Amino acid sequence: MAKPRRVTGLDPDARLRPNARRVLAVRLDEVYSYDGLVADPRNVTEPHDMRIACKRLRYLLEIFGVAFEADLSPFLAEVRGLQDLLGDIHDCDVQIPMLEAHLAWLGARESGAARRLIGETTSRRRRPGPASEAAFRAFRRELDEGRRADERLGVHALMSRRRRERDELYGRFLDEWRRLKAERFRPRLESALGGRP
Amino acid sequence: MARAWEVPGLGGRARFRDAAGRVILTRWSEMWSYRDGTQLGEDIEELHAMRVSSRRLRAAMDAFEGAFPARSFRPHLRQVKEITDVLGDARDLDVAIDRLTALLSGMRDDERPGLEGLVARYRAERATEDPHIAALFDRIEEERFEKKLDRYIGRHTGVRLATLRPRPPD
Repeated sequence: MAKPRRVTGLDPDARLRPNARRVLAVRLDEVYSYDGLVADPRNVTEPHDMRIACKRLRYLLEIFGVAFEADLSPFLAEVRGLQDLLGDIHDCDVQIPMLEAHLAWLGARESGAARRLIGETTSRRRRPGPASEAAFRAFRRELDEGRRADERLGVHALMSRRRRERDELYGRFLDEWRRLKAERFRPRLESALGGRP
Repeated sequence: MARAWEVPGLGGRARFRDAAGRVILTRWSEMWSYRDGTQLGEDIEELHAMRVSSRRLRAAMDAFEGAFPARSFRPHLRQVKEITDVLGDARDLDVAIDRLTALLSGMRDDERPGLEGLVARYRAERATEDPHIAALFDRIEEERFEKKLDRYIGRHTGVRLATLRPRPPD
């Protein structure tokens, strides 16, 4: 996760407003620093870092709102909307690798079970008597039961669903980000804060 | 999502240093108020609220860092970061379990064992997170972190918890 940039030029003994303006300018700049980096929907780290940057900006707008005459709540709502979308994308980005890891784990468990079943069937067939046909039937039965209980099908279905959801969410996020830029979110917020520090 | 607590006495004409003390101690109290609910584990929203509050606190500490000597401030920030991180692992699993459980009824019969197996596995993993959380909270108590933070913030900003008395929103 990208660390927040250090804010320079603060004067702790001065009023809140000029200091808050400096802090918010840096946090706003952090959000916009991801502009080109989030254009590619295959990226995972950048949208996550942008989400964290949005959170930092949002929480500071909550705190510093009292220091400004302009109402910052519409800006807060816009940042929260963007952060929520990025959060849903992040949930998919967390879950898809978890599902892949789970599939690998199920695969390993399945092959272990198949080896054990083959071993048991082979030892049953070695016993004297007309056991060959019965052993084969038992083998088929156990194999069919195993297939019915196969957990991989559901995990695959879930993974495709999550991938589709992510694509759709990413499209919405890009539309939203373009809209904010087209509606001059940054200059509007800077103006509400009384201009750039 | 849990609403942020109002910061007592924070007005437009406040000094940055005074605001730093008020905001940090309020956000600390807000976060720590979810401690019992998080540890009880009956409602996953308690842990979620605690984690969101810890993020609010961190954002505030980053923003107000300039009001404190850098070297002595960092250990306090690190402690809060540890809280966020420990809660994050549990929160990821809570979200996954919650979403999968909601999806179960809409899945086909042959897809259901996969989801049920996954939920069972995540539940088992989630249970292993509780001791980490409990151990962290115990250590914070034993080390009297809240008292130390309160004294530290008081020394540099003049604001103390006893006089600030932050309260949850009505």
